[in-house]
Amino acid sequence: MSIFSSDLSMPRAGSRRLKVDARQLVLWLTTAALLLLVALPLAYVLLQAIFPQITRGRFDGAFSLFIPTLNDPELLRLLRNTLQLGVAVVIGCAALAVPLGALRALTRVPGGALWDVIFLVPFLIPPYIAALAWMMTLQPRGYMQQLTGLQADSFLFSFWGITFVMILNVFPVVYFAVSRTLLAVGGRYAAVGRVSGAGPWQAFWRLTLPLSIPGIAASLLLVFALSIEEFGTPATLGAQANYYVLVTGIHQRFSDWPIDMPGAAILSLLLVMLAMGAFYLQHWLVTRRSYVSVTGKPMAFEPIELGVWRWPVIILFVLVGFISVGVPILSALATASTGTISGGLAWDNLSTRHFETLFNDRFGALRALSTSLGLATGAALATGVLGALIGYLVVRAKTRGHQVLDFLSLLPNTMPAIVVAVGLILAWNQTFWPIPIYNTAAILLIAYTCLLLPYPVRYASASFRQMSENLEAAARVSGAGFVRMFWRVLLPALAPSLLVSMLLVFAIASRELVASLMVAPAGMVTVSTFVFGQFEQGSPGVGMAMSVVAIFSTTALLLAVTAFSRKKLPFAG
Amino acid sequence: MKKLLQTVSIVGALTASLTVSAQTLTVYSAGPGNLINNLAADFQTETGIRVNVFQGTTGQVMARLEAERGNPLADVVVSASWQSAVDLKEQGDLLAYTSPNATNVPDFLKDTHYVAQGVSALAMVWNRNSSTPMPSEWADLTDPAYRNEVTMPNPAESGTAFELVTGLITANGEEDTWGLLGALNENGMIVPGPNARALNPVLQGAKSVVFGAVDYIALGQQQNGEAIEVIFPASGTVAAPRPMMIMNYSQQQDAAKQFIDFVLSEQGQKRVADVYLMPARTDIAALRPGLNELKLIDVDAFAMNERRADILVRFRRVMGQ
Repeated sequence: MSIFSSDLSMPRAGSRRLKVDARQLVLWLTTAALLLLVALPLAYVLLQAIFPQITRGRFDGAFSLFIPTLNDPELLRLLRNTLQLGVAVVIGCAALAVPLGALRALTRVPGGALWDVIFLVPFLIPPYIAALAWMMTLQPRGYMQQLTGLQADSFLFSFWGITFVMILNVFPVVYFAVSRTLLAVGGRYAAVGRVSGAGPWQAFWRLTLPLSIPGIAASLLLVFALSIEEFGTPATLGAQANYYVLVTGIHQRFSDWPIDMPGAAILSLLLVMLAMGAFYLQHWLVTRRSYVSVTGKPMAFEPIELGVWRWPVIILFVLVGFISVGVPILSALATASTGTISGGLAWDNLSTRHFETLFNDRFGALRALSTSLGLATGAALATGVLGALIGYLVVRAKTRGHQVLDFLSLLPNTMPAIVVAVGLILAWNQTFWPIPIYNTAAILLIAYTCLLLPYPVRYASASFRQMSENLEAAARVSGAGFVRMFWRVLLPALAPSLLVSMLLVFAIASRELVASLMVAPAGMVTVSTFVFGQFEQGSPGVGMAMSVVAIFSTTALLLAVTAFSRKKLPFAG
Repeated sequence: MKKLLQTVSIVGALTASLTVSAQTLTVYSAGPGNLINNLAADFQTETGIRVNVFQGTTGQVMARLEAERGNPLADVVVSASWQSAVDLKEQGDLLAYTSPNATNVPDFLKDTHYVAQGVSALAMVWNRNSSTPMPSEWADLTDPAYRNEVTMPNPAESGTAFELVTGLITANGEEDTWGLLGALNENGMIVPGPNARALNPVLQGAKSVVFGAVDYIALGQQQNGEAIEVIFPASGTVAAPRPMMIMNYSQQQDAAKQFIDFVLSEQGQKRVADVYLMPARTDIAALRPGLNELKLIDVDAFAMNERRADILVRFRRVMGQ
């Protein structure tokens, strides 16, 4: 805080230099944080891939495992499946979420901001819980068959079933990006187009949509990266569909005795290269031309009235909400509130025993909940601050290497969480650190911040790309320093999408499983490790009860934050 | 901004307060979570020594040990795979220790460097509400009555399922075993993942039988009212002892030894029995069929583990994966 205030109170002669210093200092600190958070653990993974014996402090046999690992005939199939799944989920998310997001942004959808809250919930449901819930609903003698006599076994355990469940998990990324971006682009250009004689559809297709491409492309890239690194769904459904992807291969190398860490590291590098390809594609797409559309104060804009179209639109939103949120939660509730699974949906099988076990708290369920909520809050704040600064750096810094920063900020989303976790252990469990980080809660905070940083960075850089530099110039001319300009001019314009991305971070961090399992210090339990443990030890009812409690309490918290922040921030609604 | 920084510093303070103290024993344990938590709590009451537990699957425990080699943290490890203990001893990671409380532990459940905490066995788990007849032998499941009704844990992901395959090879010979597994595959058996994932479809009734489930989890669920039977074939099955060991880099070897002694004490072994495992000590009563009531196949685990990669490749091929 001291830099900020001294900057403003300095006499004029000194203030010019200090302003430059403040800007430089902030940017250098940001870069340092990014290197420490992301580059360091990934460097260790790279070292592990190159030097198989490095955990034993030996450097022999360098590169000796590349050829055997890459020669595995399975690998081609894993690569092809991974790509296929990633592309299918991207296409599905675009088809589902672009129309939803556009409707939400440009028209007066009945229900308004309620839909934003509902579509945040898929993020609060851990992917493996969602997959399990779908399994218990659709498999033979599952909940759907118990209720309607129908089952969908052959669909669920297939490529299409996996794609379906994964789309439902991640489409909100695109929904939020599209609705926030379109709002930012606003009705202003469309209005100009209308004045010049374009119809509403023409104005949308020719003006609003093309100008929104950076935001939409960025979110689709995120979806691709998320789906090639997702573990829970392919692991739960894939084995029965005989469908394996790179991530399941990496996990297998990490968790089957004997552990093959170098092999897993090499496969992870492959995955990173895949995502790198997608990254350059997106980069090429959004930097070919200018997308500047926010040149001054955001202007209020009148959403389109839907008229008779309101009914089909309501039906669409309700249907998507029911399938993506209702079904998994109802299924989880059914498992949590029936005494036995084999007893099925029967009144005499109704029982509160799983919830009682949970609230008796012999196993530390409540502590797990508060640990997760605390860590998720910390991760949302840390990634929000860093994301805004990194997004600015990436778009505005004319320095060499800003593309490297951009790439680094995306990297965690292309690495399977288990690989990031191992990198973090290798990097932070060293005796040379002055303060012990590993084996404390701080390592979980670092893990979440690293893994989830891409969300705020993507949303922020897409916003900055649409902001005219004249805004900054005007602020500078009026005498504002960098910090004041950032705080007073850029941040308010950035706030809606940054806040959404921080909510996403909160949601995902509150239930992150894979990294938590690896790096949680002994004696610390999070929501997800608790749930996972219950499933592994044959108490799916207690696991589902915990999931339900966690999903409802995080949703309530998000509702409270949203309601509170709307008074202060120009949050869309 | 000020508020934000305040919150960050509060989170930071929280973090610091959760920091693990160096005066405690660190135990890495592969399930059951309530067992290790109860043992840790009892041990603390008894000795005043705090126990920090990391609980995961055997794979997660081992991956963590491997990643932490630069600065190891675990004092005691409880694994679900006997072979992992054999390998760690060979790598020179274990401390030699024979607990005075291990006198009633049979020889095949102890070594100079590790000792069983408890023992599970492999079984068939059958859903009573299913339309299939109750099976009694492994080979029954190749019958058309069980077409598309069988699941099996993946031996690549479940150490116990691997041990079952090696047990069948030992008892019935190579060709018969692959023939049996091939026939199960022909009959539509699925291999959905580690133990819990093979058991879950059978609980709901999507499938009827698990071929080679870990018994204690299913016995616990049966006790909770699930409509399942746990069946040990008369032709024999495989025992899966769960080894406990002290890491030789432990800074608190005395406390670690006390912990091993405690788990092998009467009180500790009763806790083991409570979760439907067989206690390692023969003089402690089990809540389920004990070692003497099951026909166990004596597997040369060491020889079989040498062939592990080949066996898994063959398994994948037979299952058409």
